[in-house]
Amino acid sequence: MSKRNTSDLTRLLIYGALIFICVYNLAPFLWMIFSSLKTEAEVKSYPATFLPHVVTLEPYANILVWGGFITYFMNSAIISFSTAFISSFVGALAGYGFSRYTFKGRTSLMTVFLASQLLPGVLLVGPYFRMLTLIKLYDTRIGLIVAQTTITLPFSVWMLKSFIDTVPVEIDQAAMVDGASRWQAFFKVVLPLIAPGIVATTIFAFLLAWGDLLWALCLLSSPSLKTVTLGITELVGQFRIRWAELMGASIIASLPCVILYLFLQSALTRGFTAGAVKQ
Amino acid sequence: MLRRKLSAVALVFVLAIVLAIGVQSPMAQAQKKVTITYADWQLGQVIWGRILRESFAKFERLNPNIKVQDQPIALAQLGTKLSVAAMGGKGPDVFATTADLPRQFIDNGWLKDLTPFVEKEGGEKFLEDFYPVSLKLVTVDGKTWGIPKNIVAMMLVYNSQMFKDAGLDPSNPPKNWEEFLESAKTLTKPPTQWGTVIVMAKAGFDLRFPGILRGHGGSFLTKDWKRSALDSPQAKEAFNYVVDLVRKYKVMPPGPDAVGANEARRLLAPKKVAMIIGTMWTIPEVSGMNPDLHGWEVLEMTPVPIKKGLDLKTHTVLYQKSLFMSPNTEHPEEAWKLIKFITDPEQMQTWFVWQSMLSCRKSVNETFPPILQSKYAGLVAKEIPRGDFLPLIPQTPEILDTFRSALTSAVTGMEAADAALARAHAEINEILAR
Amino acid sequence: MRLRTKEYEAYLFILPALSMLIVILGFPFVMAILMSLNLAWVKSSLLGFTFENYSRLFRDRVFYNDLIVTFSFVVSTVGFHLLLGLGVALLLNMEIKAKRFFRVAAILPWTIPDVIAGLIWRFMFDPLSGIINSVLARLNLIQLPITWLSDARLALPSVVFAEVWRGYPFVMLLLLAGLQSIPQGLYEAAEIDGASAWKRFWYISLPNLSRIIMIAFTLDFIWECRRFGLVYNMTGGNPGHATEVLSLYVYKNYFVFFNFGYAAAIAVVLALIMMLISFPYLKASMKEL
Repeated sequence: MSKRNTSDLTRLLIYGALIFICVYNLAPFLWMIFSSLKTEAEVKSYPATFLPHVVTLEPYANILVWGGFITYFMNSAIISFSTAFISSFVGALAGYGFSRYTFKGRTSLMTVFLASQLLPGVLLVGPYFRMLTLIKLYDTRIGLIVAQTTITLPFSVWMLKSFIDTVPVEIDQAAMVDGASRWQAFFKVVLPLIAPGIVATTIFAFLLAWGDLLWALCLLSSPSLKTVTLGITELVGQFRIRWAELMGASIIASLPCVILYLFLQSALTRGFTAGAVKQ
Repeated sequence: MLRRKLSAVALVFVLAIVLAIGVQSPMAQAQKKVTITYADWQLGQVIWGRILRESFAKFERLNPNIKVQDQPIALAQLGTKLSVAAMGGKGPDVFATTADLPRQFIDNGWLKDLTPFVEKEGGEKFLEDFYPVSLKLVTVDGKTWGIPKNIVAMMLVYNSQMFKDAGLDPSNPPKNWEEFLESAKTLTKPPTQWGTVIVMAKAGFDLRFPGILRGHGGSFLTKDWKRSALDSPQAKEAFNYVVDLVRKYKVMPPGPDAVGANEARRLLAPKKVAMIIGTMWTIPEVSGMNPDLHGWEVLEMTPVPIKKGLDLKTHTVLYQKSLFMSPNTEHPEEAWKLIKFITDPEQMQTWFVWQSMLSCRKSVNETFPPILQSKYAGLVAKEIPRGDFLPLIPQTPEILDTFRSALTSAVTGMEAADAALARAHAEINEILAR
Repeated sequence: MRLRTKEYEAYLFILPALSMLIVILGFPFVMAILMSLNLAWVKSSLLGFTFENYSRLFRDRVFYNDLIVTFSFVVSTVGFHLLLGLGVALLLNMEIKAKRFFRVAAILPWTIPDVIAGLIWRFMFDPLSGIINSVLARLNLIQLPITWLSDARLALPSVVFAEVWRGYPFVMLLLLAGLQSIPQGLYEAAEIDGASAWKRFWYISLPNLSRIIMIAFTLDFIWECRRFGLVYNMTGGNPGHATEVLSLYVYKNYFVFFNFGYAAAIAVVLALIMMLISFPYLKASMKEL
């Protein structure tokens, strides 16, 4: 807004509020980082210290040695990336269909897509577990990837449709006048133009899949397939694991998310609000 | 700007995938041997885990074509994890469980019948070294479903130094629950020290609270295991006793509902509490957590108290770790070799040295010199005949969960104690009626 | 603006996504309904069905308790998300120094997976080794440690507190984008007319934000109703059932107690409630898209 006639007092209040928000938002991060550097004795002391008195990297060493954490990390990467790739590709096709055509039942079909999110995961995971057992896909990566696509696909369709909407339809028409087919216009003209949108959508899907616990918890059992979130959850309550190690593992597991989100926040916001912000 | 960001992101992806492939390929090469997966909650602990892995290394030297892959599972998730995997037609080839699970697993067909293997080893002759009470747990309809490994009775473990410091006589620990309460009050000095902590989280609950219930003359179920016995005055008394320890006398550290077996030991190690219900394993564990405690000298054991004036034949709870095979295993012969190896007398001896655990084999307990010389082993062995397992029915895990939820409700003030217990009583009857 | 030729092509584009949804969402959904009626996988009779699971549901006190817990959890988290999100979005939309820093700081919590947020906050609320009691004790505000997550009255608010922290930045991001899209001219004109800051907010910002607020509400409502990982890792529903949201109860019934039909019945009811509440908003959000 405007900086005219803002008094010193208002200014003080604004910055006071901002700093308060910063403390609220950042304190848990600092606590997580500092705790992961503490010795066992210090983590257990009461009242707890904020900064570590003695800095140790032992918790990190322990996670790497014990937790199978490298494997978990890789599993998360493979599963989340495959999920993101599938849902972006299929989502881009559907987004194009919704954006470029008027047809019977268009709005209701889009509503159905989004409304599918109203089916809670816990409703689906049980029957899905049965299905996978029947076709011998329980405890496989494929089973989990397909399942996670259900969480990500509706959002991918929605976001990609908003991005495709920003490309003027005349561009497709021009390409088609030049002799391109509808598919070629989609692949060669529209897709490159919305590349940033595709990347944003892919990463959003990646992160949704990365953060999932429910499906992994119910569909995986072998340690060699576990994802990071499942790995951490199962460390809780294991005798050798302490808070310092859990916090270290949490940092490692959230690092990709923090970095990717910060990179992509503006593109993400655009994808979510494109339809609503236009007017 | 955006373009540069995007290429950075793309680079990260490519790197991640390359790395992933790099990690996967050496794994694929190791597949040539027969791999047996082994799940055990004790793998998730520093010393026990190391000893188990050393045993596996020895086993692999003796059987060069077999590779053992270990799978630690948190104790609180043991039942859930194993049963979901079994339902999905997967699961570890060999696994260890506590005494509350076998009946549920046998009932659901989640265990492989080991009778043919036992027959091949000599049948009766192979089994005769094990205590009858141990075999009772793993035998249904004359079939052997598992091989017993360790057995102990639950005891009261206390810190004699803290007793002395508080002016209590360490050679005269509480014998009944009335004395236990008085000692706990004397030992409580918040916010740094409390008298005791009773496990109320899932991990280890099955071994601790039932001792208090039995010690008041109560039980979860009627004698025929057909109905809940929680409406008895004895059960009410035991339930209220624990609720009062927390709410009225405040002799437990804050948040006892979240304390599992290991958290209890972590409170005993830095002298935050003075008494817990534990047994042989408590001593090496707690001593390892805090060497300054000098656990082997200051920690003492005594039978779990009984209500004053009661004369009970059995009152404490038995712990037994047994080994089982999954019906889904592709290598039953190799899996049996592993089970046999872990339960042989030599491995049992090693396990006593490192975990202080008594064996399910008579020959080991009666002849192994370190067991005969231990100051604790004799005390615990004397209590085994005075202990029993929880009801050997498939519903036991669910009954325990239901009860535990009522207990934590009462302890945290969500529900009045009487109402919570009455609810547990009704719900358990419903479970049994199904 | 849209091409009107060859309508069937549209279905070709949409078909892959639609068929995936049908196979992996629609099919399990139908299976769940059948299971809740004891129709599928019942050993005895395949044709008969019963409402046994639903009638049991209406007698189940835990279900009612969990319904109330879920309701309180969703209403308070979504409410605080909107309030706090709007407040912070207004702050960040002002002329301030170090804007980039404050922006990044403001969205950081949302980047943490809820599973991990649950762990962090469980540790922060830990009575003995957590930072919250430590701060209170050092300020001499408390004598004895407070048992945040083990107290019937404090447990749910603590969980809500954690989820407010994690979830509001997303709402804030949406609202901030909305605020930035409001033409500056509107504010300038109002200012010339002598409208106070409050009036400018009430008559210009809020009406212009209404659609975005609706989208944010709908998305957030759906997400919070489905919330699982945070609660699973923070309290697991304890103490008693004080923080047990319905999704956790369904999970427990299916994967811990193996009451498949009953679990399905609870989940169906949960889905119905979610649909009834959010469907009108969802439809409204879809308009003009």
